[in-house]
Amino acid sequence: MKGFEGCPGSRTIDRREEQGEEEATAKVKSQLRQWPIQLHLISPQAPYYQGADVLLVADCVAYALGGFHSEYLKGKSLAIACPKLDEGQEEYTEKIKSWLEDAKVNTLTVMTMEVPCCMGLLSLAQEALAASSRKVPLKHITVGLQGDIQQEEWVKG
Amino acid sequence: MEKFLNSEIKAIIRQYPPVEKVLTDFGIGCGPCSVGSCLLKDIVAIHNLSAEAEQDLLTRIAGIIHPGQPIKLPARQASRPAKTKESRLSPPMQMLGVEHVLIKRLLALIPQLIATMDLTSAPGRQRILEAVDFIRSYADRYHHAKEEDILFKYFDEKTDILKVMRTDHESARGHVRAILVAVERQERDQVAEHLNAYYELLQQHIKKEDEILYPWMDRQLSDSQVGQLFAQFNEANKALSQAPQKYQALIIRLEQAA
Repeated sequence: MKGFEGCPGSRTIDRREEQGEEEATAKVKSQLRQWPIQLHLISPQAPYYQGADVLLVADCVAYALGGFHSEYLKGKSLAIACPKLDEGQEEYTEKIKSWLEDAKVNTLTVMTMEVPCCMGLLSLAQEALAASSRKVPLKHITVGLQGDIQQEEWVKG
Repeated sequence: MEKFLNSEIKAIIRQYPPVEKVLTDFGIGCGPCSVGSCLLKDIVAIHNLSAEAEQDLLTRIAGIIHPGQPIKLPARQASRPAKTKESRLSPPMQMLGVEHVLIKRLLALIPQLIATMDLTSAPGRQRILEAVDFIRSYADRYHHAKEEDILFKYFDEKTDILKVMRTDHESARGHVRAILVAVERQERDQVAEHLNAYYELLQQHIKKEDEILYPWMDRQLSDSQVGQLFAQFNEANKALSQAPQKYQALIIRLEQAA
């Protein structure tokens, strides 16, 4: 690994030499069952959110996590966002709250990268859950920069 | 060894008492279990030991059962879910754990209730009846009913550990019925005997659930099932929505009087 120390979210990491040992030989089927997916673009009351198990995923996760489609997205509904760069995040809180109260989602799972700035996405979900009259189980999954699962746990809303 | 893996743990301990100590060393508290009908193989699986710990445990047990003989251990079942990275119980399981806290506060009061029991006076009898009301309405109707009517339905109810849990619930109900009869007849020894038995039973029962059953169940449940359980528990709680406040107030009052 080469790079400089600084913000962990934008630190340069070069792993080219570690890559290429395992390659998928078969075509991997997408598990995405909806459109749109960006949190600003979605309607929280869209049919695919009704009573669903929803994944709220930081933008970088699907690129880092090799098995994202088959192991995490399968059977779930999705929205993606970047808690570091996206603007208008107060709207995000309202949309998450609408998932809980209007779409009556079954569970909410927040997936973030291990970098500290990603934790903002979990905070948004917790804020929305605290403000919501309806509670659901909230899970947080932390993905490492090398695509490993660092932590997976149920958290307080 | 295969034969013993398919044997009830109580029978194994009865025949080879040192096995109990080995189980205890691995945090498996089957010794005092009131039923003991779980098979050794299920006990090993349900405790989710690491592969090394499991091999170590079975080697020590095999050494007791077949001393000095070469031991052929069974292969670890590949289909068993890997040890999860989740450290906290899911919200519905946490809900049951929180209910245990109030039940344990009642259990802690039982020795004092027995020591100061006076069945000859109406207020004395009322004190015991209030504790019984807590057991029936909160511990049983509010808590055990959620387990029996909702949670257990997500699993194969023929599983030994679920049979043990149901048997514990039934035994507890039997003690409560006996306490009520004895209070009516003012039979102090009988009331004390059944209160003590309930105390011992529930202490072990809650320990089994907190340390073994709930974590095991959590490992089996999908996220979607966790969400469904949470919603069903909340719905069930609505029907008895006053129970937590009412019985917490009762426990505080009994604690202050103790």
